[in-house]
Amino acid sequence: MSSQIYLDYCATTPIHSSVRESMLRALDVSFGNPSSMHWAGADSKQLIKQARADVANGIGCLPEEITFTSGATEADNLALFGMLRLFLPNQAHLITSSIEHHAILHAAQRLERDGYSATYLPVDEHGLVNPEDVRRAIRPETKLISIMYVNNEVGSIQPIQEIGKIAREHHVRFHTDAVQAMGLFNIDVDDLNVDLLSLSAHKIYGPKGIGALFVRAGTELTPMIVGGPQEHSLRAGTENVPGIAGLGAAMNLVRQHRTDERVRLLGLRKYLIAGLQAIGPAVIVNGSEEHIAPHVLSMSFIGADAEMMLIRLNGEGIAASLGSACNSKSIEPSHVLTAMKLPQEQIESTLRFSLGMPTTKDEIDTLLDVITRVLPRVTV
Amino acid sequence: MTNYRVCVIGGWCGNRLYMVAEHISEVLEKAGYPCQVKSHSVWENYSQPPVSNLILQLLPAFTESETGCPVITIRPLLVDLDHAVTIEKVLKQVQADYIA
Repeated sequence: MSSQIYLDYCATTPIHSSVRESMLRALDVSFGNPSSMHWAGADSKQLIKQARADVANGIGCLPEEITFTSGATEADNLALFGMLRLFLPNQAHLITSSIEHHAILHAAQRLERDGYSATYLPVDEHGLVNPEDVRRAIRPETKLISIMYVNNEVGSIQPIQEIGKIAREHHVRFHTDAVQAMGLFNIDVDDLNVDLLSLSAHKIYGPKGIGALFVRAGTELTPMIVGGPQEHSLRAGTENVPGIAGLGAAMNLVRQHRTDERVRLLGLRKYLIAGLQAIGPAVIVNGSEEHIAPHVLSMSFIGADAEMMLIRLNGEGIAASLGSACNSKSIEPSHVLTAMKLPQEQIESTLRFSLGMPTTKDEIDTLLDVITRVLPRVTV
Repeated sequence: MTNYRVCVIGGWCGNRLYMVAEHISEVLEKAGYPCQVKSHSVWENYSQPPVSNLILQLLPAFTESETGCPVITIRPLLVDLDHAVTIEKVLKQVQADYIA
C-alpha cells in the first residue's frame, strides 16, 4: 500500500494536537467530580465552565445555553424528544426534511409510533429544502421544525436563516443539526434564528463521545436522562470532563481557522472536480453548485461499481465513503440521493470525498492519479 | 464431479454474500449439479480468490485472465436472489462444464 490519504472528514476527523493537549491536561489534573464541593471538584468544574464559554463563543450564545451531551445524536434526540414530549401526542407536530441524519429521522419515526405526527419535507434535485414548503407545512399544533444546516452526504447548505424567520413568525421552535457546518461556517445562533442547535466534537478535530445542544434561554425541554442536576437538569450524569475540555479546545481551533479553511477547501474542491471531470464525461457532481459546503464532494461515476471502486481506493491507501449502505437483504440506496430523485444508476455509482484541515493539493493529485487508474477496472 | 468448485465474490455486504452463496449452492444442487460453493469477500481480504472452476461475482473484482476460470457477474442477485436471467447464465455454465 502506498501512503495513506484520508478523505472521509464528514465521517470523523483526527484529534488535533491542541485538543489532545487540553484533554491530557484534564485527564491528568482535573480528575475530581465536578459536583464535589472540595478543591478536586472545583478544578473540574472550572474546566467545564471554561469549555462551556468556549463552545458558546463559537456559536454566539450564552454559556448557560450550552448543554453537553454524548454527541450530536443525543443532542438531536434531546431536541426532538425533549420538545415534543412536553405535549400530548395528538397535540404536537414536527416538521423535518427527508434528507436529515438518521439521528433525526429515526427519532421522528419513534415519535410517530408514539402517536405524534411528523411531516418530512422533500428536497429539490440539489438537495435543498424550499422554505415555502416549511411555511405551508406549519399547522396550529406544530411545535418544532428541525432542518439540518449542511447535509452530510452531498454538502447542500440549507436556508437556515430564512426557515428560522418563518419559524419565528409562526412562534414555532426551530432546531438545526449543525454538525457538518461547525468546522467551516461562522455560526451565530441569533443571526440564524435558531432555538436549538446540535454539534459534535469529533467532526471538528475533537474527541468522539462528546457533543452539545444549544438551548435558547426560555426554551423548555423534557430531559431524556434523569438522575442528577448536571447540565441544568437537562442531562443527568457525571460530566465527561476530558471530552468537554476537548470539545472546548476543538471549538477554539475551528473558530480560529474556519474562515481561511473555507476558502482553501473550496479551492481544493474545485480543483478536485476539474480533475475528475477531465477523466471522462460520465463523472457527475451531486448537489448544488451555489449552496454547497466546501468540504463535501459527492460524485457519481456512471457505469462504475462504487463499492468496488471504494475497495480499490482503500487498497491504494485512500479512505473515502460510499453513497449507499447494505442491510441483510439488499443494498440500500442513500436516502439523501433518493430524496433528490437521482437516477438509480447515478445513486449506485456514488462516492463521497470529504476534505479537512490536513488535506493538501498533493493528496488530491494522488487521488486523481489513482482514480484514473482504477476506474476502468471497476466498470459494471 | 462433486469437486466442482464455485466461488462467490462479494464486498462489504457480508450477510448478502453468504446468502447468495448459500442460495447458489441450493439452486445448483436442485438442478442436479452438486458443487463446493465458497464465498470470498474482497472487502475483508483483497486477495486472489481460492482456486475455482467458476467465479461468480457480485462486483467487478476479477477478470478471467486473473482467475484462470470463467467469471460471471451476478450483481442482480443483490436485489433479487432468484433473478432468472442470472441464475440461467450460471446454470448454463455449470452444465457446460459438467458435460465437458
